[in-house]
Amino acid sequence: MIEGNIGDLGAGLAIALGSLGPGLGIGWLASKAMESLGRNPEAARPIQQNMILAIAFTEAIAIYALVVAIIIKFVN
Amino acid sequence: MSKLFKSPKALVILTLALGAFVLSVAGGALGKEFNGGFLGAPIAHIQLPAEPVFADELFPGFKLTNTIVATWLTIVLVAVLAFLATRRMTEVPTGLQNMFEALIEFFSNLAASIAGPENGRRFLPLTLTIFIFIVTSNWLGILPGFGTIGRIETAEEVIHHAEDAGTDLAGVNLQVFDGDGAVGILSLGSIRTEEITAKRFKEAEEEGVHLVEDGKQVGILVPFLRSANTDVNTTLAIAIVAMFMVHFWAFRSLGIAGHVGKFLNFRGGPVALFVGLLEIIGEFARLISFTFRLFGNIFAGEVLLIAMAFLLPLIGIIPFLGLELFVGMIQAFIFSILTLVFAALASTGHDTEHH
Repeated sequence: MIEGNIGDLGAGLAIALGSLGPGLGIGWLASKAMESLGRNPEAARPIQQNMILAIAFTEAIAIYALVVAIIIKFVN
Repeated sequence: MSKLFKSPKALVILTLALGAFVLSVAGGALGKEFNGGFLGAPIAHIQLPAEPVFADELFPGFKLTNTIVATWLTIVLVAVLAFLATRRMTEVPTGLQNMFEALIEFFSNLAASIAGPENGRRFLPLTLTIFIFIVTSNWLGILPGFGTIGRIETAEEVIHHAEDAGTDLAGVNLQVFDGDGAVGILSLGSIRTEEITAKRFKEAEEEGVHLVEDGKQVGILVPFLRSANTDVNTTLAIAIVAMFMVHFWAFRSLGIAGHVGKFLNFRGGPVALFVGLLEIIGEFARLISFTFRLFGNIFAGEVLLIAMAFLLPLIGIIPFLGLELFVGMIQAFIFSILTLVFAALASTGHDTEHH
């Protein structure tokens, strides 16, 4: 018999599932950025800047999941 | 690897680092399970909304929260730094003036490359202000003293509040403090061998048993200072200012009809009208995304640091402090750069967008 608050399970699942997609996304983004960096090393600066910006957008989705998890865990 | 073992200096450093790490793990919460835990790091109370510094309302309906105090501290610090940097300006900058000049030059180049030279000059002050404010408050939040020094809310008050809010008392962990003063410090060594939850404390009180010896008290630490961006109100306020200015600049450069026409487009048929309405939703999505990106990152960082201070106290936490410094700067950079990009996008009309 498992005891405990089911909300904790929900919070864990929210961040676990919510970080799957962004994790894949950031990996793919970085891989593509590295690829284009290898093809065109002079464009390192703009590629890096745009990569960080795009990663921020992708990461924001994981942050939404995190906020949901935090709300489940800490707001009653 | 073989090179490493030939150099005695590297080997000594590696051994010392490994030893320090093992010491940190053994002294933390993991070691406590195996009769270690001699560093006795306590786990701080994690709370989502900002806590009031004083228990009473300052004036009706307003409680001074610790994030507001941290925001004021940030403002004062930035003002003092700016004053010191510009007090004795020289032709060849040194020290603080040099740092600020490098920062401004970097951002003005960036603004010019994203929004063009003329618009870039217009957008620079706000984006740079946002960057400096956010990075200062994020870095301030990592300083010792933030989240560890505060007033002690006694166990009776905690239980009273938890019962009012309908929280499960078994889930509220209480801490033990030396002395009976109103101000407490959450220091190393203040952990106890057994955990005291609010439920256990209440039951013990009802039976007339005192869980702690004389000269100590049970309660929760309410910190005086807490990183400003761990409060969703702070980040929402910055986001509202940023989005307001984005639309202000758009009205300035496109005119009222030009900017409103992007959202209420009656000339391009039903599809264009629908796209325009979606744009309105998009603007609100940007606002919410701004708010929660910064809040989520900094709050998660705070929780990470608390958990790591519990698991790997004193030494193992150092890499995570470095990570938080990096995250704090990157988030500030992203916030300001996105403001700049949104402003540049909004200030160019549909006609000039496709050339």
